[in-house]
Amino acid sequence: MQSTATYDHDPASTQLLSRTWESPPGVLNWFTHVNHRQIGYRFVVTSLVFFALAGVLALIMRLQLISPENTLLGPDLYNQLFTMHGTTMMFFFAVPAMEGLGIYLAPLMIGTRDMSFPRLNAFGYYVYLIAGIALYTSLFLGMAPAAGWFSYVPLANIAFSEGRGMDFWTTMITFIEISALAAAVELIVTILKQRAPGMTLSRMPLFVWAILVMSFMIVFAMPTVMAGSVLLALDRAFFTQFFVAAGGGDPLLWQHLFWFFGHPEVYIIMVPALGIISSIIATFTQRPIFGYTALVLSLVATGFVSFGLWVHHMFTTGLPHLGLSFFTAASAMIAIPTGVQVFCWIASLWGARIRFATPMLFILGFFAIFVIGGLTGVMVASIPFDSQVHDSYFVVAHLHYVLIGGAVFPFFAGLYYWYPKMTGRLMSERLGRWSFALIFIGTNLTFFPMHQLGFEGMPRRVYTYLADMGWQDLNFAITLAAFVLGTGFLLTLINAVISRSRGDLAGSNPWQAETLEWATTSPPQNYNFRHLPVVSSRTPLWDQSDADRLECVAGLRADRRELLVTTLLEARAQSVLIMPNPSIWPFLLSLAVGFGFLGFMFEPWLFVVGFALSFFMIVGWLWPKKPWLDGEQSYDQSHDQC
Amino acid sequence: MSTTELNDSRFSIDATDLSRFHSGTDAPIWWGIVGLVLIEMSVVAAFVISYFYLLMSNPQWPPADYPVPELMLPTVSLVLLLISCVTMYMAGRTLNKGQVTAFVLYTVASVALACVVLVIRWQQFQDFEFSLDQHVYGSLVWTISGFHFLHVVSAAIGTAVVAILGMMGFFSSTQRIGVVVDTLYWNFVALAWIPFYLILYWVPRLTYTAGG
Repeated sequence: MQSTATYDHDPASTQLLSRTWESPPGVLNWFTHVNHRQIGYRFVVTSLVFFALAGVLALIMRLQLISPENTLLGPDLYNQLFTMHGTTMMFFFAVPAMEGLGIYLAPLMIGTRDMSFPRLNAFGYYVYLIAGIALYTSLFLGMAPAAGWFSYVPLANIAFSEGRGMDFWTTMITFIEISALAAAVELIVTILKQRAPGMTLSRMPLFVWAILVMSFMIVFAMPTVMAGSVLLALDRAFFTQFFVAAGGGDPLLWQHLFWFFGHPEVYIIMVPALGIISSIIATFTQRPIFGYTALVLSLVATGFVSFGLWVHHMFTTGLPHLGLSFFTAASAMIAIPTGVQVFCWIASLWGARIRFATPMLFILGFFAIFVIGGLTGVMVASIPFDSQVHDSYFVVAHLHYVLIGGAVFPFFAGLYYWYPKMTGRLMSERLGRWSFALIFIGTNLTFFPMHQLGFEGMPRRVYTYLADMGWQDLNFAITLAAFVLGTGFLLTLINAVISRSRGDLAGSNPWQAETLEWATTSPPQNYNFRHLPVVSSRTPLWDQSDADRLECVAGLRADRRELLVTTLLEARAQSVLIMPNPSIWPFLLSLAVGFGFLGFMFEPWLFVVGFALSFFMIVGWLWPKKPWLDGEQSYDQSHDQC
Repeated sequence: MSTTELNDSRFSIDATDLSRFHSGTDAPIWWGIVGLVLIEMSVVAAFVISYFYLLMSNPQWPPADYPVPELMLPTVSLVLLLISCVTMYMAGRTLNKGQVTAFVLYTVASVALACVVLVIRWQQFQDFEFSLDQHVYGSLVWTISGFHFLHVVSAAIGTAVVAILGMMGFFSSTQRIGVVVDTLYWNFVALAWIPFYLILYWVPRLTYTAGG
């Protein structure tokens, strides 16, 4: 087994390094942690909690729909549930889950010790947590938003959605985007400036490329929904007229602002999934991925083209024909980069001796599910067809095929694949296979019949239907299938909990993978790498017969947090960055900002109080500490510690 | 634990003598602030595009009974903000040469210019002859003005903190990244006034039809 133990030529300095990078234990200290692995792990776990919550909401909705004119839920509660289901899955599960994987893995894959702004990282997590708790509090108080996850006006206006529900939605959506944007910026900077020496852009793992593209998309897409939800909040709180037709405003403007974010959002979720797929295929075929350059270009192209598609969500709103034609063409164009990737993966799998472990099964599941979702996507990209099935269950079927196929299957594949790196133990293969089988069968049985329901005219978002519509048999079957699907997800959850203490020990590289995250122990030590690695190829762990032969960096101090900054394109060593220690300020700042946002809902002037509090927290956070003066005397002794 | 001696030839890079100071593009924080500016520019773009979208969906712009906006004071604001970019640039330049006193003076001057702009803008809020809740034109003018006002406030406060730290001797020609990134953000806030100035004060003059 490969081991990094032989790196430790000097146990004393290794211990010092470990203490330097330690996240202090204890309940109160939990709020001071800044290490990217702690934060990334929290993002992933928290997003899975929200995934479970949203899943339960979906099951309750399915119970309501199991028979015609069912009275389990009233219309208002049903509206709250589907709004919360969509909002949670998109904003509180999919994006944070992918970002969490990126935050945990990208620094390991590029061979560094932490992200560029560790405290911003922690701040982003607390913002996410506070927003989620606030939104679910509104659900348990029975005043959750009820205008759908895209909150179309005029329904979402104060005139038609009284009460606090929509206020929770607008403020918490604005709030949680702060978290997504913070994570995006620092993922970009970390990836561009902290890659291991020698890791030129053309040697960067595909997963890291995917995270980079995702982050750039977040930077340009999320501000639009922030601006939009701020305008909606102003419309509701101060009676501005942005989306009110009577005052010269335009309800369609909301749809433009929302979908200009909302369509890239789909790819923000999918692009990292594409990175996961490439990682797993390379490992489980044990040979380099076919068409690395084509795959990178496709990722980047997907990122660009995805910004030109948003109007295909608005085909039935009465837009000019020329515009519709343009967006139909653009929607068809996205098939080109996606197709290139699929063919590269097929070429990678062709003739390889594939290892069919659970992560690979989920990838194969992705192919099946996503292709069906893609095909129905081509169908709804055609305007005449879209006009027929718009707002019917056909669209529900399509979007679940795309999102479950395109994001959930790869994410679960990634979970099985990187779980041993995060915990040091492998997940049970047996439970994993059962879970995969149930999820795969459950997904198809739940969502495939919805295509038919759509053709039969069943509209989306109805809380009940009449018996003589003839929809009850399919709905009955779908509800049963939804529980199969739920059981599949539950098995993975059980698997993850049990394997945490009972799984087989993984060792540093259980899958014989090629990228740097497998060059260190599982889970990694506080300092990630005993010595920062130097790479000279795309597949460092395959090219060096064992990890101990990697070249590495000398001269970083062990008594304070130091890491290497490299140049943007060629990753030549440039300077040394001194990183901050654990800090309580990010948590305090998130409380102050959260206070401002939540306060705004009840008394607008409380926003000013939050603004002022935030200012003090930021000054406390950024107050210079002259770290370069610390321990100047000990510099010579630690000179040779790496 | 193994105590194998490391083969020295494996240490192909020595970071001992690399700089621990950063002054520009070599500093991650510089890239971080560029990211922040990109995000804010996306917000600015969303506002500008929304403005034109709403302009085009209204038959008359500004609506009847709304006055054509005066140019004088917003133009003064524009000039003052542009001057403040120069003073911030001079602050960075003097700090590079190690002239800390001049650096502090230029920084204070920039904050003072921003404060004058804030006073002028505040006065214009008082002078708006329309409210934000009657017509979307008013909503846009109030919201965009408020958005930019808040940004000038935060840039001024941040730069005031930089000035205070400068007086306390925190900055020097080697340790100046805080000043560099503050200037970066300052320039964004000042220059963001250009598109806002054009859409708030020039576009309605061009589309204005007397008497409606």
